[in-house]
Amino acid sequence: MSMLTDSNQIIISTHNLNKKFGGIVAAKDVNLSVNTGEFRCLIGPNGAGKSTLFSLLCGIERADSGEIRILNKEVTKLKPFQRIKLGLGLKFQTNRAFQSLSIKDNLSISNNKIQVMDNEIAEERYQLALSEFKLKSEGAKLARELPHNMLQWLEITMILASFPKIVLLDEPTAGMSVEETLFTGSVLKRLNATGLTIIVVEHDMQFVKDVANKITVLHEGEIFSEGTAEEVSNSEEVKNIYLGRD
Amino acid sequence: MKHLLNLIDGDKDIGRGNKFWAGFFLVLICFFLYPTFVSSFRASNTAFYLLNIPMGFGLCLIWGYCGILSFGHVAYYGLAGYAYGIIAGNLLGNSWGPILGVLGGLVVCTIISGIFGYFVFYSRIQKWIIPILTLVFTLLLETFFVQTSGYQWRVGRVLLGGFNGMTNIPFFQIGTFEFEGYSFYYYCLVIVLVLFFGLRILVNSKFGQIVIGIREDELRTEMLGYDIRFLQCVTFIISANLAGISGLLYVQWGNYITPSQMGILQAALPVIWCAVGGRNSFIAVIFATIVLNWLSFTLSSQGNQYALVIIGTLLVITMVFFPRGIVVMIFEKMQKIR
Ligand SMILES: Nc1ncnc2c1ncn2[C@@H]1O[C@H](COP(=O)(O)OP(=O)(O)OP(=O)(O)O)[C@@H](O)[C@H]1O
Ligand SMILES: [Mg+2]
Repeated sequence: MSMLTDSNQIIISTHNLNKKFGGIVAAKDVNLSVNTGEFRCLIGPNGAGKSTLFSLLCGIERADSGEIRILNKEVTKLKPFQRIKLGLGLKFQTNRAFQSLSIKDNLSISNNKIQVMDNEIAEERYQLALSEFKLKSEGAKLARELPHNMLQWLEITMILASFPKIVLLDEPTAGMSVEETLFTGSVLKRLNATGLTIIVVEHDMQFVKDVANKITVLHEGEIFSEGTAEEVSNSEEVKNIYLGRD
Repeated sequence: MKHLLNLIDGDKDIGRGNKFWAGFFLVLICFFLYPTFVSSFRASNTAFYLLNIPMGFGLCLIWGYCGILSFGHVAYYGLAGYAYGIIAGNLLGNSWGPILGVLGGLVVCTIISGIFGYFVFYSRIQKWIIPILTLVFTLLLETFFVQTSGYQWRVGRVLLGGFNGMTNIPFFQIGTFEFEGYSFYYYCLVIVLVLFFGLRILVNSKFGQIVIGIREDELRTEMLGYDIRFLQCVTFIISANLAGISGLLYVQWGNYITPSQMGILQAALPVIWCAVGGRNSFIAVIFATIVLNWLSFTLSSQGNQYALVIIGTLLVITMVFFPRGIVVMIFEKMQKIR
């Protein structure tokens, strides 16, 4: 249980992050900080800036101002692939598994071993996802022949194949049935229990309550509120922004 | 060794398994025996079809596998040819001259394609512009070499020769042995074979897989932690060198080179070979390069002025009916029947 010893260390954080697209404020003074081994959920209405926050963390988008730290390293000036190599993994909102390649190829391309330390545990996580998501036996199948839930699982497993320390999952259960969503949540929880830090964007409140240690609510680019599932779901203000009553 | 054989037999090119390789080596034996049935002149003519294959390979790699269409690979064909002519020409009489010429040609290709690739891939320009940039580059080179007539364009004792090109380029030689006629044919055949196996290993290796990933989805690949710009650059340099190898073989074959080798008509040829055969397959490119070169050579040597029109028509037919290439699609059909 060595991961518990450093579980209160901040693994990824932002300081006053700002991003505008023309007139649209996609991130406004965002101060996010996630601890090692945490399971964090990001929620918020459409256009709140959840995906943009992931893009900013990974460097796909450059922040207008502010600072990002990954594993205590200032990464604001690093290129995307350099940030990934520090131990990040990103699953895009729209599934981006390599459609015309086989599952086997998808996974072997992803097998980058970005993280030098802890290879054993990273390999364990990868194997866990492989067997739970039943991807091993179907290796020769092309990604585009897979049903949507399998595609999502494939992309999650691809990310684990790159041996990350932190995974960012943008709506990983979109398009899944209730059972599949629950199952995905249970697998993610098992991965989290091995010490993997997980940040998930999700709309499904049941899923969020089920998995999250802590929830961050984004609204119009700002962190609107933060707390446990209970605190957030009981908040009148949060209900208001979801119902568009503010 | 076992590992290498597995890579050669990998699934990133058509043609795998015992049956395929049995057929492959049967055809190969025919190619090796061919010179014993024909004159040295015919063997040398056939060598011309073979010597173009590396450039086809180069385009296959950068276009078919990496997803970047270069319309100007003949630039490196020409540059390597001229570099060889200058170096070997100046070292005439020295038996190391041709070997240094080859090395020089490849160094020039590496440097120029490296610089070009750096600006293209690191500047994040949109992908559809790349074919135009590569074409413009080769046309600029052509224009430059066309105006190099006269004595002021002399490098050492070699004249660049302007529109008429550079002549008296030495044969390739090792020690005192010169490659011409039959021996040049075998020399080309061995080079094509070595490159073929090397490229099969490359595309089935980890590097090849990542390159294919870049073709499929640049951002996804980058977000797995790969420096895609660097990898695109490296792939571009490798493919430029393959074109350079063809350029070297060409000048060693014909002992001359003209700027029109970097012109627009020549620039279109490797694209046509790859499109007609199938740009995702080295085997297909070998087929298409030999057949199309033979076709255009036969047509034009019979005084047919429409050689290019016929080849062009073939290209259009391919694009409409065989979008992934004739050879590749026939191959896939055959595999389904079995
Ligand atoms: N590349 C872009 N160019 C212009 N505007 C953008 C761009 N990316 C995002 N936006 C805008 O920024 C805002 C935040 O978008 P973002 O995709 O981060 O929202 P989100 O919270 O992920 O929403 P959803 O739940 O719909 O996925 C939106 O108004 C969106 O239109
Ligand atoms: Mg989003």
